[in-house]
Amino acid sequence: MSGASMRPFDELDVSPLEFWSTTMEERDKTFSVLRRERPLSWHRPMQGGLLAPDIDGVWVATSHELIAEVSKKPEIYSSAQGINMEDLSEDIVEAASSMLGTDPPKHGSLRKVISSAFTPKRVSLIQEQIEGQAARIVDDLLKEKEGDFVKLVSKRLPMWTVFEMLGLEEELREETALHAEELVSWNDDDVAAGRQPMELLNGALVSLLTIGMEFAGRRRAEPKSDLMTALVQAEVDGRKLTDDEIGSFFVLLSVAGNDTTRNTTTIAARALQDFPVQRALLMEDFDGRIGGAIEEFVRWTSPVMSFRRTVTEDTVLGGHDLLKGDWVVMLYTSGNRDESVFVDPWKFDITRSPNPHQGFGGGGPHFCMGNFVAKMQLRAIFDQLLHRAPNLRVGDPDFLTGSFVRSVKSMPCTVD
Amino acid sequence: MGFADADEVEKYLGGIFAEALADQEIGPKLRATGISLKTVYADPDVTLLIDLGAGQVTRVDESAESGAEMRMAADTGNSYWQGKVNLPLAMAKGKVKVSGDIASLLKLAPLTKKLVPAYVARLNADGRTDLLA
Ligand code: HEM
Repeated sequence: MSGASMRPFDELDVSPLEFWSTTMEERDKTFSVLRRERPLSWHRPMQGGLLAPDIDGVWVATSHELIAEVSKKPEIYSSAQGINMEDLSEDIVEAASSMLGTDPPKHGSLRKVISSAFTPKRVSLIQEQIEGQAARIVDDLLKEKEGDFVKLVSKRLPMWTVFEMLGLEEELREETALHAEELVSWNDDDVAAGRQPMELLNGALVSLLTIGMEFAGRRRAEPKSDLMTALVQAEVDGRKLTDDEIGSFFVLLSVAGNDTTRNTTTIAARALQDFPVQRALLMEDFDGRIGGAIEEFVRWTSPVMSFRRTVTEDTVLGGHDLLKGDWVVMLYTSGNRDESVFVDPWKFDITRSPNPHQGFGGGGPHFCMGNFVAKMQLRAIFDQLLHRAPNLRVGDPDFLTGSFVRSVKSMPCTVD
Repeated sequence: MGFADADEVEKYLGGIFAEALADQEIGPKLRATGISLKTVYADPDVTLLIDLGAGQVTRVDESAESGAEMRMAADTGNSYWQGKVNLPLAMAKGKVKVSGDIASLLKLAPLTKKLVPAYVARLNADGRTDLLA
């Protein structure tokens, strides 16, 4: 028996899917104890629907400090062996995660080439389109008067923005969005609809890769002024992106840019209703306060609840001896409620300053590359919603079960 | 350079399964999957039925029944066993086609990655450096 398998599991069990089917408030009662008493704790492998990992247990980092430490040491805490709690094959990690699933120096060189094309300046070119689209979404909402907020509002902007930015042809958007959805929801019974999780995931992945690579091929043959053209042309220090790399980045963008922003929209809309004083504060000076408010939306929501790393050499973290090969799970959802960093962490406070939340990651080299895109969208949609649909009422959100994305499947709404 | 004929494909791409089935660690795991996998190679053309439950590898007709099926060029098979083929990417490019019980097939993929060193060692031992990717 190895040392790791003899180590007793923490008495607070955070591994079962059942634990992840409760609310964030409920889960945080457990995390709060862990953060304060045992910010790094040892648990059973997280429960999921895919390949059972060949490991004895996982380390779980719940404090802001340890999440930051793990994020900032990619040489010790590797992403290349997988970033989710389930044991996906290396092939899938590589194909689905692009740079998110790589380590230095490969990560740096890839991120450099991609970011030479994917710049705030390029995205600002479509700022007016994003605002126009946000206005249309609210036009439609006002016409519909009632329905599912996710379908009517939250879902419509993020995927559209990614597609618009990339320049993906209109007729491919619906299908691509569907596969992007499947890629993150294989664990959910509603979405899986009887299909094997692994089959669902692989099928979605292969479809997205195919769409992405064919799309890259069309832009290579006939350049336009969109992001895909910039990606196929990008070159830094003589390095260009291969078809495989572009295909994988296309997958990453379709996923990373999609439900994260969507769920932030949904959950922030609910928070603004639950905390009318905060909402009034925002409306007093929308332009002056929306920037800070968006940071709080992301902290409050924590749409990405976790990412995982694998230890590359024996090390010490939070006073524990970690062995090469150990898994470390970072719970951003917990770091964002750390009472030693955030005063009154369960207060939704749009004027919170400073607000060093970990919604976009713990501050290492993988820090969310599209955060400026997310912020631009959130600003546009809340500008429209708050000014043009002041009587919007939303009901209770129906959450997706899982430990990765904090996703709302539906939330009823009315406007009058 | 690639495989000269169907016999070579069978010797190496079928042989690696036979070797794996005999392996103390991987063998039992492969048998436990109980999958019957038909691998249809092209250029040179040969179809192998890998019956993991029974622990047998046999050359069969392309129309043989099986639980799952994989189609690829023999060259792609050779690269795959050297760890140079990413399955989802190869599937997206149409280089590898799968059908049948895909879920089981996908569960097999990580196990097969463990066989890469043995495959490369075999090529080297036989002096087939021409087949190294
Ligand atoms: C509120 C919305 C979003 C949240 C909460 C979010 C969160 C995250 C997180 C937690 C990471 C990993 C950070 C780490 O490992 O340290 C990440 C990475 C990334 N995100 Fe986002 N994201 C959001 C929106 C977007 C959008 C809109 C895009 C693109 C259009 C995007 C593109 C990316 C990319 C490309 C990476 C990988 C960066 C790398 O590995 O170097 N994200 N994001």
